[in-house]
Amino acid sequence: MAKWGMVIDLDKCTGCQACTTACAMENNTLPGESWQDVLFYHEGEYPTAQMKWLPRPCMQCESPSCVYVCPTRATYKDDEAGGIVFVDWNKCIGCKYCMIACPYGVRFYADEQPLVEPDIRDVYPGENGQMWSPPYQNPEQDWRRGIGIQPKGVVSKCTFCHHRVSKAPEGVADLDEDDPELVEYVPACVRTCAPKARYFGDLDNPESNVNRLIGDKHGVRLLDHTGNRPQVYYLGAGAGVPAFRPRNSRRGD
Amino acid sequence: MSDNNVMKGTAGTGLLLLSAIVLVVSFGFVMYNLTVYGHASFNVSSSLPWGQPISTYLYFALASSGLGLIAALPLVFGFKQYYGIAKRSIFLAFIILISGMAVLALELGHPFRMLWAIPLNMQIQSAMFWMGVFYAADLLFLLWKFQKMESGEWDSKATRTIGIASFLGVLLASGTLALIFGMMSMRPFWFDGSLPIYFYLTAITSGMAALVFFSYLAYGFDRSRMPERMQSAFTGGLPKLFAAVLGLTVLFVGVRAITGLYSNHPEVYHVWADYLFASPVYVLSVLFGLIVPFLLMLVPKLRVQSQIQVLVAILAFGGLFAERYFFVVGGQVVPLFKGTWAWDMIQYSPSAAEWGLTIMGSAMFFTLYVLGEKYFNLSAVPEQLAATETPGAPEKATA
Ligand code: SF4
Ligand code: SF4
Repeated sequence: MAKWGMVIDLDKCTGCQACTTACAMENNTLPGESWQDVLFYHEGEYPTAQMKWLPRPCMQCESPSCVYVCPTRATYKDDEAGGIVFVDWNKCIGCKYCMIACPYGVRFYADEQPLVEPDIRDVYPGENGQMWSPPYQNPEQDWRRGIGIQPKGVVSKCTFCHHRVSKAPEGVADLDEDDPELVEYVPACVRTCAPKARYFGDLDNPESNVNRLIGDKHGVRLLDHTGNRPQVYYLGAGAGVPAFRPRNSRRGD
Repeated sequence: MSDNNVMKGTAGTGLLLLSAIVLVVSFGFVMYNLTVYGHASFNVSSSLPWGQPISTYLYFALASSGLGLIAALPLVFGFKQYYGIAKRSIFLAFIILISGMAVLALELGHPFRMLWAIPLNMQIQSAMFWMGVFYAADLLFLLWKFQKMESGEWDSKATRTIGIASFLGVLLASGTLALIFGMMSMRPFWFDGSLPIYFYLTAITSGMAALVFFSYLAYGFDRSRMPERMQSAFTGGLPKLFAAVLGLTVLFVGVRAITGLYSNHPEVYHVWADYLFASPVYVLSVLFGLIVPFLLMLVPKLRVQSQIQVLVAILAFGGLFAERYFFVVGGQVVPLFKGTWAWDMIQYSPSAAEWGLTIMGSAMFFTLYVLGEKYFNLSAVPEQLAATETPGAPEKATA
């Protein structure tokens, strides 16, 4: 089986959030429930002030701390599915321990106060156990893998678009959106990325383009000191995360 | 002897009624909010998922563990002079744990699912799994031990074995509860292998506060009405132990604060400097909830006075409730990997529904407490000890 990996080239990324939008449409997520987001950072001050940004899906970690803490095995890493980390919505008890344990902040407990008004969950009230039921929905649903619109009281997260990539032909090295044979199997964020900053392929295949990019262009994993070993790699200048500094700290910048 | 127990009379009935009403109203309020608004009625969010309901559970569960550890003094370690407080400690430990679990259940997304999903999936890598196992065992042992005491079987081999098992259960339960936080290396404010020790200390402190307050409450805050065994415990070694655990708690908070403020690590330093010490509530809670009680209990003349003991117990309730709250929230205020979407520390203060849960848990505890005082003799001691007591002449304390 493949080990799916994503490579994001920050020299190409324009921070346009098309991936975030495509993900929200593909997976019917709520405002604020951004399985895929582009994070913006500012660092330093004049004359060296910088603006940085980086797209952030779930890293599908090789040593996923979210999986280790989950008391019910609702969160699990599926090596049969390319090493994707799923949440089983039939098992999740909503204890939110995984949200504490994920260093990348990519997990959502959508049963919370709405980010924007009107609350879209009131506009399209939930049916058949769903938390909300918009008129357009991706027909793909698999609660055992956290795919579709979640029920209440569970945690949701990026699935690397398992419902798409799982249909790709066996043994394929890369899922390239420019290949008409493969375009339907590419994750929504990768497919939509206008400057082609995202690549998706098999990390276990020595011939894959993603491996070549990581090797040749110095791919790094973010927050590597946490030991989670993401399956998402970043290329280019700016692949580093400035430390958090609160405004008006007692100890200045 | 137990005639002096005011909880058995009209005062108790009054308190029972009052707490039952508060319980029903707060439960109704929380349930209304959960049904109509779901967890959106809480102020927690995906950025700060654990709030006051979790810290309330922590407070209750640890107070229960503390009471269990105190009860082990006579029941496991043979300090016979403390027999007078053993049964009440066990009872309080049981009901406070039940109340904490009730609060936790209403915080979870799917409390009933937990009942099968945790045992059936055996995720032994999760500290939360072990906490569940050990607190369930703890609850069972407490019940069993109480039942043995009820039947007058204090010193049989079975009782002693249950006592030891229960003691170990308490240590493991509160220890793993500590490690739920202490093992989170991505949350450096919590990441600390010695957290179980800190939890044991603060557990005993809050357990002691509960024991003092509810023992005095049962006797109308008049120590002379207590049975001699209890009186001697409260004039003998217990206040010294209370002083010691308060002091160690202050020490532990102190070294954690110094380490945090010294550190350059932004996820530790900013929590101490810009969240905890920037909050007047936190500063006041350490000052009046931990340091002042410690100083009061340090003075030999003061620590034996019943008014001082009750005052210190009440102050320590507040101090430790705040300590738990700031510990839980403090570990999350620094946004993880949020970029400038999070401009500043994450803001959180409990909503009305979250306060409702805290009040509901407390009211449940009070209700069960009065019922316990009414229907059991919580001041009971083993028969052979009771027989040696001469009324009006409290035995000299030995510790
Ligand atoms: S990024 Fe977070 S949620 Fe995703 S696998 Fe890693 S630890 Fe789990
Ligand atoms: S919230 Fe659900 S997925 Fe997360 S740790 Fe708890 S049970 Fe597991």
